[in-house]
Amino acid sequence: MGTVSALRVKEEPKYPGIVEAPRYSCALGGAYMAALATFNTVPILHSGAGCGMSQNFGQNFAAGLNDAGPTGNTSTPCSCLVEEHAVFGGEDKLRALIRTTLELVQGELYVVISGCVPALIGDDVPAVVKEFRKDAPIVFVNTAGFLGNSYKGYEQFLDAVIDQLLEPQPVVAKRVNLLGIVPYQHIFWKGNLQVIKDLLAKVGVSANMIFTENSGLEALKSIPSAELNLVLSPWSGVAAAKKLEEKFASPYEVIPTVPVGPKDTTAFLRFIADRLDLDRDEVERVIAAEEHRAYRFSEYMAAITSMALPNAYTAIVADTSTAIGLTRYGSNELGWLPEIVILTDDPPEEYRGEIVRFLTENLASAVTPEVHFEIDSHRIRQLLNEHTVQLVLASSLEKHIATSELQAMQVSVAFPTYDRLIVDRNYAGYRGGLALMEDVAYKYGGPL
Amino acid sequence: MSIDLNKDSCPNREQRAGAVNAYFGKASDLVQEARNGTLTNKERDFQQSSGCVLNFYLTTRVVTIRDAVMIVHAPVGCSSTALLYREVYRKIPASEGLPTFDLHWLTTNLDEKDVVYGGADKLRHAILEAEERYKPKAIFIMASCTSGIIGDDIEGVVSETQQEVNATIVPVHCEGIRSRIIQTAYDAFWHAVLKYLVKKDIPKQPDLVNIASMLSYTWQDRQEITRLLNRIGLRPNFIPEFATVEQFEQLGAAAVTAPICPTYTDYLSRGLEQEFGVPYFMYPSPVGIEHTDEWLRVIARHTGKEQEVEELIREERAKWLPKLEKIQHEFAAIKPDGEKVQILGSLGQGRLLTQVPYFEEIGVSSPAAIIQDFDNLVLDEVQQVIDQAGDFDVLVNTFQAAELAHITRKYDPDVALTCPFQGSAYKREKGATRIHAVRGDSREWSAQAGYKGAIAYGNFLLQSVKNKSFQKTLLDKTPDTYKAWWYEQPNPLHYLKKEAV
Repeated sequence: MGTVSALRVKEEPKYPGIVEAPRYSCALGGAYMAALATFNTVPILHSGAGCGMSQNFGQNFAAGLNDAGPTGNTSTPCSCLVEEHAVFGGEDKLRALIRTTLELVQGELYVVISGCVPALIGDDVPAVVKEFRKDAPIVFVNTAGFLGNSYKGYEQFLDAVIDQLLEPQPVVAKRVNLLGIVPYQHIFWKGNLQVIKDLLAKVGVSANMIFTENSGLEALKSIPSAELNLVLSPWSGVAAAKKLEEKFASPYEVIPTVPVGPKDTTAFLRFIADRLDLDRDEVERVIAAEEHRAYRFSEYMAAITSMALPNAYTAIVADTSTAIGLTRYGSNELGWLPEIVILTDDPPEEYRGEIVRFLTENLASAVTPEVHFEIDSHRIRQLLNEHTVQLVLASSLEKHIATSELQAMQVSVAFPTYDRLIVDRNYAGYRGGLALMEDVAYKYGGPL
Repeated sequence: MSIDLNKDSCPNREQRAGAVNAYFGKASDLVQEARNGTLTNKERDFQQSSGCVLNFYLTTRVVTIRDAVMIVHAPVGCSSTALLYREVYRKIPASEGLPTFDLHWLTTNLDEKDVVYGGADKLRHAILEAEERYKPKAIFIMASCTSGIIGDDIEGVVSETQQEVNATIVPVHCEGIRSRIIQTAYDAFWHAVLKYLVKKDIPKQPDLVNIASMLSYTWQDRQEITRLLNRIGLRPNFIPEFATVEQFEQLGAAAVTAPICPTYTDYLSRGLEQEFGVPYFMYPSPVGIEHTDEWLRVIARHTGKEQEVEELIREERAKWLPKLEKIQHEFAAIKPDGEKVQILGSLGQGRLLTQVPYFEEIGVSSPAAIIQDFDNLVLDEVQQVIDQAGDFDVLVNTFQAAELAHITRKYDPDVALTCPFQGSAYKREKGATRIHAVRGDSREWSAQAGYKGAIAYGNFLLQSVKNKSFQKTLLDKTPDTYKAWWYEQPNPLHYLKKEAV
C-alpha cells in the first residue's frame, strides 16, 4: 500500500498574505451566510452598502448558482454607512434600522452583523442591540471583514448564538446537533444536512440540522438539549462544539467528513450506534437493506464506470471535509487513484497533521495523495500542472484549466461553483456515490 | 464642471451633478427640481444592501481587462464577487470572435494586524508580485473602505513602485463609503483611466468609435454594433469590459465617443473631449429601431459617413420593420379595446432614456419608471423622453427591495422586469421576466441592442405574457418578506427622512 505519500514542507510565500482568488469571503460574509441559512432569520448588516449585495455573487451564486433567499442580497436590511458615519459614528443609523426592521420585516430572529467600518470607528453595537432585546429575539455578531474568512464568520455566528440566545435545557436521549457543515462554502450543504438527518432518523436518532430546519429559532434554542454534538468536519465547528461542552456539558464527536457512499456511511452508522448505545440488531438491519439497494444500483453504473474513468488518477481541490469524503469514496469504492489533494479552506495549523492522516491512511489504492494546503488559485494551478491526472474534482475555477492545460475531465464539487445549480443535490450517504458518478458520467456522456 | 486630472480622483456624483437616490413623484417635477437646484437627497430610516462604490460592480468589470491585473486593496470579502473571473466570457464560441485570454486578480487580504500597522507595504508587495507572476501591461489598484479609513497612502505607494515595474499602475479611488451614489464608481474608474492610461500624441484613427459597454449588454449586442459600424467602414472600441490595455491607450485617438449608457460613460466622454479633443454625444443609445437609426446618424456625422449611413438604415429598416410590426400586432392583440400592455422596469438612469421610447415603439406602455439614481447630467434628454412619451411617475431608488416590492404591487403592471437585485418583486399574479441578460451571454434571444436586439427583445417580452405559472406559484406558496401593512399604506418612500443630507 501507499507508494507515494509525501507531505511537502509548507513553502513560505515570498509576499505573505497576498493571494490570487482565495475561495471564500470574509468573516462578515460567513456570519451572514449562516444567518441566511437559519430559516426565518433576518440578518441586519451594520456596514457599507455593498457588504450584503456583493456576497450574492461572491457567496450565494458562487455556491452552485444559488439565490440568497427571502432576506438575502438586496432584501437584507443594511445601515449603508458612508463617509459621514465614519466620521460621526453610525450608532443612530443602526438604531433606526433595527427599529424599522422589526416593524417591517417578517422574522423569528434578528441577527445584527457588523462589518469593517463600525469596527474601525468603534461603534458600540452591543449597546444599541441591547435596547431591542425586550422587543424581539435579537443577536449581535461582533465581526468585521478583516477579522478572517467565511469559515471564521460561521464560527462567530455560532459563538454569538451560544452566548446570547441559548439556555440550559433537559437533555433528550438520541438527539444530536449537526455542526461543521458551513452554508454555501460547502456547496452541497442543504442536501448533505438532509441526508444525514434522514439517515439518522432510520436508526432512531433525531438530528437537528439547525440550517434549513423549518423554524430556525426553535432549532437554535434546542441546541443544548442534544445528547451529542456531531461535527462533520475535522475542524469547522469544532470551536462551537467545545464551547457547547463547556457551557452545557454536551459531549461532541468529530467525524472528518460527511460520508460518501456505502462503506463510509455504514462505518458512520456503526459509530453512532456504539456512541449512542442504539439497538445493534436494528441498526444492522437498516445497514443491510441500504447497502443491498445501493450496491444493486451500483450495477447499473458498472459499465460506464469502467469505460469512462477506470482507475483514474484524480486531483481533488476542495475544502477539507469535502476532499476527505471524495478521496475515500473514489479510492475505496470506485478504484480511482488519488494523486493530489489541495485543501482550500485554510484549516488552522493544529489540525493539519490529522487532516493529512485522514486523507492518506486506510485507502485501498496503491496511490496515496500528495496533500497541499493552498489558498492561492495561481499556485493551485501550478501545483495541478505538476501532475498528470485524468479526473479533477474541484471548484469551477478549475473547469477550463482542467480541459485546456491538464487534458482531464472536471466536475465542480467545491466552492466556488458557477457552472451548475445545486439546490438539493449531494453526494452524502448510501446513494451519494451514485450521484457523484451520475455527474461524472454526464461530463463523459455520449454513445460508445 | 471641468475634469481635473491633477487630482487623485473625481468629485463624487453628488457634488459633480447633484445626484440623488431617493425621490418619488412625477418625472416632470423631478426634472424641474433638478433644474432649479432644489433637488436634495435624503436618508432612509429603513435601508437595504444595495452595492457600494467598489462593489457595484467595479471588481467584476475591471477584472475582465484582458492583459491587466486587478489588485483589490481590502479585506478578503471585498473581492469575492470576482471569483467568477476564470469563467466569464468563456462560453462565447470561437466562431463568435472570442480571443485568447487569461485573467488574474489579487487581494491584499487586509487583516487585524494591517488595520493597526497599515497596509501600504502589503500593497507594494502585491504590485511586485503581480508584475513577477503575470507580467501585465497594467495593474489596477482598487481602494476599499478599510484602506481609506486606516489611511493607506495609495498614491505614495504608486509613485514609489511605478519605477520598479513595467506595468502601468492605475490606482482607482473607489472606497465603498465615499459616496451614496454608486455611479461615482464609474467616474472614479474613468478618472484613473484618463489620468494613467490614455495616450497623448498618438495618430488619430478616424474610423474608431469608442463605446463603453455595460455589464448588461451582451456579446450579441457587441456583435450587432460591430456589424453595423463595419458596414459603414467604422470600428468599435469597446471598453472597459474585456478590453485590452491598448484599447484604453487608444481612446484619445478615436473619432467620437458614442453612448450605450450615457451616464455610465459621461465622465469618460467629457474627459476625452477636454483632454484629447474627442467629441461625444449623450443621446440616443442604440436601443429600438428609431434610436438605432439616430445613433448611427450621429456617429456618421462625426466620421463623414452621412451617405453610407442612410443607405445602411434603408436596408436595415426594410429587413427589420416587418418583424417589428409583427411584434406590435401581437402586443396589440393581447388586451381588448386597444388597451396597451403595461411593463414596469427598474432601470439605470441611462436605460430610462432608452427603454421608455422603446416601449412606445413596440406598442406597450410603462406606468412608472424606477431608476437607481438621478442627476443633472441628462436633464434635456429626460425632458425629451417626457415630451415624447408623456409624463410618468418616477421612483428613484438604488435596489431598495422593499420599495420595489411596494411599487410593483401598487402599479400592478402586466409585466414586471426584474433583475437579481429586486428582492422578491417577481412573486406576483401577472408576468415577470428579466430586465436584461449579462455580458457573457452569447445567445441570440438575449440581444437588446441595434436592430437585431430590438426584435429579439420584443419577442422576449412577448414570451413573458404567455405563462405566469412560476411567479404565481411562488406568490401562493412562499411567505412575503414584509408585513401586510407595508402594502396597505400608499408611499414606497415611507421611511424617507425629512431633512436633506
